[in-house]
Amino acid sequence: MAHPKLQLPLPFEQILCRHEREIMRYLLRASGDRDDAADLFQETWLRAYRAYPRLEPDREVRPWLYAIAVNLCRNRARDGARRRRVIVADDQQDSAAERAGKTHRSHHENDGYATVRLGELISALPERQREALQLRYFAGLDYPEIAKIMKCSQPAARANVSQALRKLKSLW
Amino acid sequence: MKLEKLIGGSSEFNEQTIEEMLRRSRPRIDHALKAMRRPEVAVGVVNSPLGALLVALGGRGILLIHYLGGADDLESAIAKLRLAVDPVEDRSKIKAVGAEIGRYLAGDADALRRDADLTLAPSPFQKKVLYKLQQVPRGAVVSYQALGAAAGAPKGARAVGNALHNNPVPIYVPCHRVIASDGGLGGYGGGIARKLKLLRSEGFALSKADERLPDSVVWGHTGTKVFCRSTCHTTARVDRTKIVFFADPEEAKQAGLRPCKICRPG
Repeated sequence: MAHPKLQLPLPFEQILCRHEREIMRYLLRASGDRDDAADLFQETWLRAYRAYPRLEPDREVRPWLYAIAVNLCRNRARDGARRRRVIVADDQQDSAAERAGKTHRSHHENDGYATVRLGELISALPERQREALQLRYFAGLDYPEIAKIMKCSQPAARANVSQALRKLKSLW
Repeated sequence: MKLEKLIGGSSEFNEQTIEEMLRRSRPRIDHALKAMRRPEVAVGVVNSPLGALLVALGGRGILLIHYLGGADDLESAIAKLRLAVDPVEDRSKIKAVGAEIGRYLAGDADALRRDADLTLAPSPFQKKVLYKLQQVPRGAVVSYQALGAAAGAPKGARAVGNALHNNPVPIYVPCHRVIASDGGLGGYGGGIARKLKLLRSEGFALSKADERLPDSVVWGHTGTKVFCRSTCHTTARVDRTKIVFFADPEEAKQAGLRPCKICRPG
């Protein structure tokens, strides 16, 4: 007598082992801060564990994990922005990109400065463009995956990335 | 494309940093996960005389026995199970449970050795019904109505039916030992054919087409401790919530009841 074959999803530990490195890399680069990244990393995996039973078996794990990480980054950025707004009076606030433009323009060729300046420019991008750009270039994901993570169409994901690039180039 | 390269490549965090961060994060995650871990249980699919079963066995006993239909059925049962526990396949453990069930259906009354863990029963009332049901011995059956009364809901026969439908551990929690109070067999989550098979293995003389308990069944009254033939005129006016049906007079005597002096069963 043949009975239906039991197929269990991967144990959570294996998913953790398989993806922790890339998630950490992404979070470090997206948040730009070790403490933030460590917090976000832990929160990402706890949420993933809690939600893992509800992940449909035919859905891919990788975009799902990134989606959790991206959402957490977004929340963190929003909370951070709220906190900063309280501290800095409105009239003293000019955009990070402008400030970066003033201070670092002459240090283009210096690698360290370029990295810092680029980070500031990226963090000044509109939310969705920034997220798409980070997923494409920090995490090296392809457009179908980015579209899944951001819940948009592939052309929309592509457009977000290219607009972000155009903006960066004009400010560079 | 210099800028793209710069975005993709430039980072103040190299692989060494990442490794170090991972090393530090792992214990923190393990610690945090420990508090919210779902318990690990052994699961497997096993063949039995009642068809293929999905069985889940935890530390405190059998959590789930599920009569399997098709492949989709297995998938959805696993998905539901995973909301509460972390299943790990363990064929040998589950095979042992299958063997117990096989022996039981072959007539070995003591074959079912494991406990049933009723954690997956959806509500407190349903849990209570299933606990009460565990006291109904092999060779006896009760009605939905009587079981409802025992669980504190004398008018809750339908609710009892629901509880039995949601019984996570059939066979071990004997929901097949519950019938309609008029002697009709009622329904069964795994289909009436399985109920018939189980009842037959417990000594009830039921043929394939039977939809009612046979006349050889005697009616036991748990209050007066008397049992009667099903045809005895006293059965017409007794309180049905106190009735237990026995497969034959012997079973009733073993349960500590005496025969009725009017209809003289057995």
